[in-house]
Amino acid sequence: MSFDLITHSPTMVLGIPLLFAFLTPLADKVSKELRDAVFMMGLLLTVFFVFVMSYEVYTSGAWTYVFGGTESRPTSLTSYFRIMFAADGFSALATITVAITALGAGIYSFAFMDGHSGMEKYYALFLLTFAGVNGMILTADLFNLFVWFEVTSIASCGLIAFQNYRGKSVEAALKYMLISVIGGLFLLVSIGLLYGEYGVLNFYYLAAVMTGGLVDKIALAIIFVVFAMKASSVPMHMWAPDVYSESPGSVTPFIAITSMGSLFVLFRILFGMFRFSMGAVELGTLLIILGLLSMFIGVSMALKQSDVKRLIGYLSVSQIGYMLLAVGVGLTTLENGDYGTFGAMALEGGFFHMINDGVYKALLFLSAAAVVYATGTKDLNRLGGLAHRMPYTTVFFLIGGLSIAGVPPLSGFSSKLLIYKSIYLYHPILAIIALVVSIITFALIGKIFYNAFLGPDLGLTRGEVPTSMLAAMMILTVIVVVFSLFPNYVVAEIVVPAIEGLGVIP
Amino acid sequence: MIDIVLKDMWSPIALIAVVLLMGLITYMIYNLGNPTYKRTKHKGEPFISGNKPPSDLSTIHVGGDNVFWGFTHALRKYIDPLVKGHTGIVNDYVYWFVITLALVLIYFYIMI
Repeated sequence: MSFDLITHSPTMVLGIPLLFAFLTPLADKVSKELRDAVFMMGLLLTVFFVFVMSYEVYTSGAWTYVFGGTESRPTSLTSYFRIMFAADGFSALATITVAITALGAGIYSFAFMDGHSGMEKYYALFLLTFAGVNGMILTADLFNLFVWFEVTSIASCGLIAFQNYRGKSVEAALKYMLISVIGGLFLLVSIGLLYGEYGVLNFYYLAAVMTGGLVDKIALAIIFVVFAMKASSVPMHMWAPDVYSESPGSVTPFIAITSMGSLFVLFRILFGMFRFSMGAVELGTLLIILGLLSMFIGVSMALKQSDVKRLIGYLSVSQIGYMLLAVGVGLTTLENGDYGTFGAMALEGGFFHMINDGVYKALLFLSAAAVVYATGTKDLNRLGGLAHRMPYTTVFFLIGGLSIAGVPPLSGFSSKLLIYKSIYLYHPILAIIALVVSIITFALIGKIFYNAFLGPDLGLTRGEVPTSMLAAMMILTVIVVVFSLFPNYVVAEIVVPAIEGLGVIP
Repeated sequence: MIDIVLKDMWSPIALIAVVLLMGLITYMIYNLGNPTYKRTKHKGEPFISGNKPPSDLSTIHVGGDNVFWGFTHALRKYIDPLVKGHTGIVNDYVYWFVITLALVLIYFYIMI
């Protein structure tokens, strides 16, 4: 096969951020301007290749990238001993979600982190995290997954603790590091179990040979719980609000998207590997239970918060619940090899909600960070009247907030509508719970909006945040609006290929 | 092939068109109002049960903990234990991981 960038784009979305992560500190030796330019170039090139890979998937179909192999698809057993990347619709959906968030957070960082020392390390860690999440999503090899899991965890930990003059940031980073290390070690144990049993670590190969014995069940349980914890599913969610609240504001959406990256991995493993030998109904039921717990406990805890970032952090846990619930319902319908009457609808809703949530949650976190940047506080008891002096941030927050609350015509409503209808067909009580959680979410967004932005001008800030921060929020707002206006196009072009990419529909 | 079911359920463009149309009708009705109305200094000022608004505006803004106080107070038997369970101690985070892993293992052992 001749070398062409389109075919090799799955490696580019990892190689470029890795390369630029090491170029950024070198560029810093020359000048700060060059350092910023190199970081931006690395970020934009990675995003570009994510879209190149996705476009190729949507136009020419999925392919498996075999490292060190000469064939684009595995043709022999030897291929399965090489590292493989799955360039399919599911990877495209996941990497696009991460890329959009990374672009927003990266542009936002310029002004938000201005004045901090050691920015070359910040940018290097940022790009390493980007590479790590992309690697987790694309890889079809369990040990390679462990490597990218570790890269993501270590780099994210450095980003969370970047403002190390704040004790709480360091505490949050320590918590994140501990749960990541424990998750990583358990993941390694499960990989060892599967390797000892089958001698291969390739997803596709394991899916074909797995028998569903006791060792497989133990490995599955560990992998399931590790990625559920990293995805901040209840009852292993407690690290998430701590981290989201205390990490630098420009990084928070990026940490949240690494968490969603774990959810993508969990779904790929469940659909692509374990559902053949384990019961899809039982796996789906477990996802539904975790989803319900996450939705309800997340939003209940949010009710008591007065820290704006912590409140959004709990709402984020609650939104993860919607995805677990919808995908769980989709998985339960897979017993006979098809999605029945509502399984595909549930998956459409779940996956559409993932990309929506990635974008509007980033917007919410960035607008909350803008509030903290402008006023120096994230305490809702002390905030008020910011709409007088921060009109753009107010509009951005409102659009993100109404979208997470599922208010029509915003994008959150479109995905939630699919979820409500499909889970109603599965069991009406689930739809009622989902609606109640949505109503409380709406009330909580109202609480933040009223407390921070409405009311008399308290003179907490002199004006709007810098232009680059506004530009980053504007980009995310435009994407939310586009997703809101053309949901059918997004579902047809991005979400349906993702469902097909899971290998269920031929 | 998977059906795109959303297109049969929901059209945001149609909703926006209806909202714009209703806005236009509302504006037309608004224009039918009393043409002699003139905005003066005191018209449109807040009326707080006849009391003068306080000079310190921060006192009239309801703070974060007070919004939905009644709701959270009524649900305190549910919410307080939940809050108490979120200790912020990292050991507890690991306990929950181990407990969940044990429960999932038992679930898989019995159900699959």
